[in-house]
Amino acid sequence: MSGNGGARARIREVFASAGVTGWLHATEVDGVHDVAVDADTPVCTASVHKLCLAVTVQRLADEGRLDPREQVEVPAAGRTPGTTGLSVMQDPVRMSLRDLLLLALTVSDNAAAQVLFERVGLEEVNRTTRSLGMRRTVAVHTPRDLVELIEEDGAGDLTYLSADPGALAGVRVLDPARTSRSTPREMTSLLAALWRDEACSAGRAQELREALALQVWPHRLASGFPFDDVRVAGKTGTLPTLRHEAGVVEYPDGGRYAVAVFTRAARTAANQPAADAAIGTAARMAVESLRRRAAPGSRRAATP
Amino acid sequence: MDLVRHLRYFATVADERHFGQAAARLGLAQPSLSQRIQRLEREFGVRLFDRGGAGGRGVELTEAGRLLLAEARLVLERADALFGVAARVRSGEAGVLHAAVPQDLGSTVVAALVGEFRERSPGVRLALREVAAEVQLAELAAGSLDVGVLRHPCDVAGLELGAVLCRPLGVLLSADAGGEGPVHLADLSGRELVLFPRQSGPALHDDIVNACRLHGFEPGGVISGQDPAFVDGMVLSGQAVTFAARGRDLPAGMVWRPLVGTPLWERVSAAWLRGRRADPAVRLFAEVVGKVLERQGGMVPVAESVRERRTVQIRPATGFVR
Repeated sequence: MSGNGGARARIREVFASAGVTGWLHATEVDGVHDVAVDADTPVCTASVHKLCLAVTVQRLADEGRLDPREQVEVPAAGRTPGTTGLSVMQDPVRMSLRDLLLLALTVSDNAAAQVLFERVGLEEVNRTTRSLGMRRTVAVHTPRDLVELIEEDGAGDLTYLSADPGALAGVRVLDPARTSRSTPREMTSLLAALWRDEACSAGRAQELREALALQVWPHRLASGFPFDDVRVAGKTGTLPTLRHEAGVVEYPDGGRYAVAVFTRAARTAANQPAADAAIGTAARMAVESLRRRAAPGSRRAATP
Repeated sequence: MDLVRHLRYFATVADERHFGQAAARLGLAQPSLSQRIQRLEREFGVRLFDRGGAGGRGVELTEAGRLLLAEARLVLERADALFGVAARVRSGEAGVLHAAVPQDLGSTVVAALVGEFRERSPGVRLALREVAAEVQLAELAAGSLDVGVLRHPCDVAGLELGAVLCRPLGVLLSADAGGEGPVHLADLSGRELVLFPRQSGPALHDDIVNACRLHGFEPGGVISGQDPAFVDGMVLSGQAVTFAARGRDLPAGMVWRPLVGTPLWERVSAAWLRGRRADPAVRLFAEVVGKVLERQGGMVPVAESVRERRTVQIRPATGFVR
C-alpha cells in the first residue's frame, strides 16, 4: 500500500529545493504501509552496496563457509583508496574479518570492504540478494573497481568536473545500467528483512544492526531525526553528484521504518550540505506520514 | 535476422568486453545474448570475440571483430538517423524542429541562431521558443522539445550535450557608483543582488550565491527578478547589482565591469535526449548553437574556465565512494 500523495508531493518539493533529483522508499518493518517516490527506478548504489556485502558475509558465516574471527593480514601497499579507516592508515594491520566488516559499515572503509569483496566474490553477493528476492539488485563493481573506473573516465579530476557539465556524461559508474545497482524498494526490503531476522541468523543480524547504528555520519538520514530516543542505523553511498543513504529508523514506541533515499545533484560540487540534509528531511516526511497512519494514540511521540 | 539489432548487441559487448555486463545493459539474459552473437558470427562467417578472458565471462575482440566493429558503428549511426527522421515524420511534422533557448541569451545570439539555421537547413522549419531551463528539461524528457539550449549546471542525466561553451560574468552597476576597472566581489558587500528566481534553476542560483560568499560578497538581500526592465531598474536605483556577460545592451546610467579573478562563469550548451543523437536536424541545430555562441556570444570552450585551478578539498563525509 503506497503512501498518500500529500507526503509524496512534499518530498518532491524537498528534493527540488535542494537542487537534487530524488528516489525514495520508506516502509514499515512490521507492516505493509509504505511511501514511494519513483521507488522502482534503478539507481547506482555506490557504497550502499556494502549492505549487501555485509549480509553475504553473515550468511556465509551462518553456513560455516567463513569464519568471522579469522585474522587476515592487510599490507600497507596496494590498499583501495578512500578517506577513512585502513584506506588512510600507513602501516600493515592484522584484523579479523568481522572487524573489517565493522570498518566497512561504520566509516565506509573502502580498503576493508575490498578485502571482504575479494574474499566472498561479487557473484556470491549477487547470489545472496537474488535469494532474498532482490531481482534488480546487482553488484557489478568492487570499491576498487569504482575508484579505478572514475579515474579512467576522467571524473577523478574534481576541478574539471565542477566546471564542465559534459564531463559526467560518459562516466560509467554513474550509469545504473553499467555499475552496481538496486532500487529504493529493494534496499528497504533488504533492511526490513535484516531487522526481522530474516536475512541471516538472529545473532548475526543483531551484530549488523548494531554496526549500522554506529555509523559515524550525521549529515544525511540521521539529520532528519534530531530526537534523542530515536535510533538511526544506516549506510551511505557517495559518487560524483550522487548522495544516498539507506537505513532503519526506530522509535521508542516500537515503530520501525526502513528508508532508502537516493539522490543525484545537478551541481557537481563535492560539498553540498543542503543536498545531504535533504535526505534526512525527505526521510522524516516519509516516516511521519507512515506514523500518522497508525491508530491515533497508539504511538508515543518522540521527545525532541 | 534483424541486422541492426544484432549489430547493436555486437557493439555493446565490444564496449563492455564482458557478456554479463553487456547483457545487463541490454536487459537480456546472458545466454540469450551469447546465442545472438553466435548467430551474427555465423552470418558473417567469422569469430568476433575471443571468449574466456579475464573474470570468466570477459571477452576480447578478434582482429576480424575489430574490423567489423568500425563498419557496424557506421551502420548503427545511420540507422539512428533514419529512426530520428522517422520519428518526426510519424508525428506529422517532418519539417519542424522544436527548439528552445533560455532567457537572456541576447538578441544578437538569437537572431544569428535563427538566421544561420534557416540558411543551412532550408527543408526544416525552426520552431524556436524561449523556455526556462527547468521547463526545458521536462519538455525534452516528454518529447515536446527536440533540442534545447541549457545554462549549466542543471540535471543533464539522460541528455547528450553539444559543445559546452563559457564566458566570464561581470557586474552591472549604476554609473553613479563611480570608479572604473575590475571590481572585487568583496567590494560589493552590503549591496543587494538581483538574481533569477531560484526555482527556475536552483543549482545555478546556489552556485552563484556560494561563489559570492566564498569571495567575500554577502548580499544584503537577494531580489528575485528576471525581466530586464525590472533588473535594470533595480540596478539604476543604486540599491542593487546584478551579474551579466559583457556585451549586454545597457541603458544610460548603467555600467558593466569585469570581476577580479573571474570567479563567475556562464556555461551554455545545446542538449537533447540521448536517443535523438542521430537526428540530422538536431545535430545541425547543436552545431549552429556552438558556432553562434562563439561568434556572436563571445564564448570560449569550457576548458578555459578551469585555467585557474582550484583544488577541491575532500572531506571524509562527502568524499566520493563513501
